Amino acid sequence: MKRTPLFERHTSDGASMKEFRGWDMPLWYPSGAVAEHRAVIAHAGLFDTSHMSVVEIKGPGAFNLLQKCFTRDLRACVGGRKDPLIPGRSAFGAYLNEAGWVVDDTVVYQIDSQVYVSIVNAGMGETIASHLIGHADGEQVEVTDLTGRVGKIDLQGPASAKILMKVLDNPLQVLQDMEYFAFKGHFAGEEPYARTFLTDGTPILLSRTGYTGEFGFEMLASPDRLPGVWHMLLELGRDLGLVPCGLAARDSLRAGAVLPLSQQDIGPWPFVNHPWPYALPYNADKSAFTKTFVGDDALKNSENAEFTYAMVGFDPRKVSIHDPARVMDEEGREIGLVLTCVADMAIGLHGGRIYGMTGPDRPRDFTPKGLMCGFVKVKIPLAPGRTVELRDEKRSIKAVIVEDVRPNRTARLPMSEML
Amino acid sequence: MKRIEELNLPMAVRYAEDHEWVRSAESTVIIGISDYAQDQLGDITYVELPAVGDSFERGDEFGTLESVKAVSELFMPMGGRVVAVNEDLGETPGLINEDPYGRGWIVEIEPSDVREMDALMDARTYREMLRGFE
Repeated sequence: MKRTPLFERHTSDGASMKEFRGWDMPLWYPSGAVAEHRAVIAHAGLFDTSHMSVVEIKGPGAFNLLQKCFTRDLRACVGGRKDPLIPGRSAFGAYLNEAGWVVDDTVVYQIDSQVYVSIVNAGMGETIASHLIGHADGEQVEVTDLTGRVGKIDLQGPASAKILMKVLDNPLQVLQDMEYFAFKGHFAGEEPYARTFLTDGTPILLSRTGYTGEFGFEMLASPDRLPGVWHMLLELGRDLGLVPCGLAARDSLRAGAVLPLSQQDIGPWPFVNHPWPYALPYNADKSAFTKTFVGDDALKNSENAEFTYAMVGFDPRKVSIHDPARVMDEEGREIGLVLTCVADMAIGLHGGRIYGMTGPDRPRDFTPKGLMCGFVKVKIPLAPGRTVELRDEKRSIKAVIVEDVRPNRTARLPMSEML
Repeated sequence: MKRIEELNLPMAVRYAEDHEWVRSAESTVIIGISDYAQDQLGDITYVELPAVGDSFERGDEFGTLESVKAVSELFMPMGGRVVAVNEDLGETPGLINEDPYGRGWIVEIEPSDVREMDALMDARTYREMLRGFE
């Protein structure tokens, strides 16, 4: 099993370790996954995400190659106004094959006019690099899998900016104008783009993104600097409620935020009829794509494609997706499969409505008991509010099809409120 | 996970192979899960308990524990009739993680045959069994 630069720190801090896609990763720390999940909602959490892969796309043909393979239109993917991607901005999307199936999802960062960095999932660096090279068709472009040459730490939660104020060089200058999906700096000190540093001199790529639905940042740095960065963040963030978090909290936070896990919620089936239309280059009325790209024809001709929906239960009880768990309609007919089934332990039901543990309108003395949530893939379209039954080998659980799960998420709050 | 030598395994209770513990009260016995079990499961998020008055044989499933990881069945270490269940677990299932031998107890039963207790392990034997899993 592969180990991140923080492996020794995780084990000496008593983390429960588990294999995830070939990596030995912390599942939770001694405080437990529920406390970690709730810390990210109320304060902040620190995640080792160095298992993820980084691919660099460089050269005069980089724009054309990404425009051909990435599911976002680089000329129209920034903010609500759909501005062009520019240096210092990133966009979430996917790489598809000719059948319209997801090879992997990614955030693409534009470093310079001819330099892009694409962060993909654990173990996918090589796959995506060869996928891109295979579509380069004579374009002048260099694609490099940087797996193992970049470390990554995610700092997530409403206290994240206040914690960064303590560890960044020139913190206000770095943070104050930073919008959602903006980034600064570079992880390689020798690069001319390395202009953002921590107080210990570590060059970082600091990005206002994450995988929790909450306000926060992702940080890329050289692997040899990572243990020092992790230690400094935990030491200086402790009084603001920062705790180290494992993959269990990451999974439950992202599911409550209706974010997909690649190879589980998106994968070898057409990338349509899902809760992530923003990852596709639709025009304003969603009648067509604004560009052509690998897989687009298959998506346009996918009349028989299945439907993926977010769902939420009535308490934290789950089914096992490994059994696998089936989805049944009200008449007991099997209509599909459960893709993700976890419990968001920062929310609860009250009077038929979902409240969050920090929601300003939550009932008096509200304590979140947690709700099962996740995704289902079904053969027939289902409207929000429809009830389905999830059935594994042991039990049956009722769930409701929804458009959103955890309320009051902080990811998009203005920086001025978070400093 | 805790190392075997770090586990809290009190001498005052007896242990079943399925990681439940049993403690004698006056004419009843109290049942819960061991420190090893709660550590393996991770945070308990929901508990399904039997009703007071339900009767079980030794080895019967009497409830489930939902953790962040999975759902696990609870098996009766001894046969008997349920005389009390820990109602606090409905509101605070995490008591099982915090205090598995105290406030995290699960059910109290009137045993049908107290001699079934003799088949359970003492702390030392249980710890030896756990070492075998490593």
